[in-house]
Amino acid sequence: MLFFSYFKDLVGQEVTVELKNDLAIRGTLHSVDQYLNIKLENTRVVDQDKFPHMLSVRNCFIRGSVVRYVQLPPDGVDVDLLHDAARREARGA
Amino acid sequence: MVVGLREFALRTGDGSPALDESSGEELMHVQPSVAVALGDRSVESPGTLYITSRKLIWLSDADVAKGYAVDFLSISLHAVSRDPQTYSSPCIYTQIEVVEDEDEEDEDEEESNGVLDLSKIREMRLVPSDSTQLDTLFDVFCECAELNPEPIEEEGEEENGHNWVFSADQMVVGGGGEEDAEWQISQSPTSVIGHSNGDESIAQPMLEINDQRFDDAEEMVHENETKDH
Repeated sequence: MLFFSYFKDLVGQEVTVELKNDLAIRGTLHSVDQYLNIKLENTRVVDQDKFPHMLSVRNCFIRGSVVRYVQLPPDGVDVDLLHDAARREARGA
Repeated sequence: MVVGLREFALRTGDGSPALDESSGEELMHVQPSVAVALGDRSVESPGTLYITSRKLIWLSDADVAKGYAVDFLSISLHAVSRDPQTYSSPCIYTQIEVVEDEDEEDEDEEESNGVLDLSKIREMRLVPSDSTQLDTLFDVFCECAELNPEPIEEEGEEENGHNWVFSADQMVVGGGGEEDAEWQISQSPTSVIGHSNGDESIAQPMLEINDQRFDDAEEMVHENETKDH
């Protein structure tokens, strides 16, 4: 549940979601659920030539299981905190 | 197994799709007068959209043998598309996760021999004639996606299934300090051969290789004799 909590704290920030099919979508994180399904607003596609149909989309729902990466704002991440929290969670503490 | 888009023509007496009630599938929403556009193909209409708790079904109103279905498990993304320059009518845009075939390189696989291969369709648009319904449809799609999370494998649930190493100090044997029992390499720390770092199912007595590929050539003739190495 660590990243669910983490993403909840990031709601309202700009992120770029890269899907497993290589599509990258930039937008404002609107909401996230326990499966890490993501809703983005004000979306724009990073590589427009590959997926021209996404140009007209402004808000979308992305299934958590197809996300490859979520690129975070560099000043929005406390790496050490996340590192420690992830380590604790993996140990089952 | 992820299937993707497929044909669907099972209808009940009143024209609605036959659902798999034994697995608890229920109808969530019906939207009449919806056209469907698969991939780059032109729009097909008229039809009715049935949204169940498991999948999306579009049934043609004109042709009772024609219909399509896709599981929510396969829908990677959905959105409302409103820009008239990108597509003539406001619609729900969806991307379908496709199982990639390793042998394929051709982008035009969809109609390589004249027959449409539905399982290769990666994008689908649903165009309701009532475009005020788009936001409702989007919300229903969200609900149904949430009803269909990835199935959990049996082993994956157990948090102890992973034996990740986080730092060098965890390799200390014999329990130096804060270690949990599962991290200890037991019995003979000087010999780790044959020990599997916790997962006993893959531990073997010693390196015993009974594969006849490693036999000397002359022994290959007498396959039934016991091997003595």
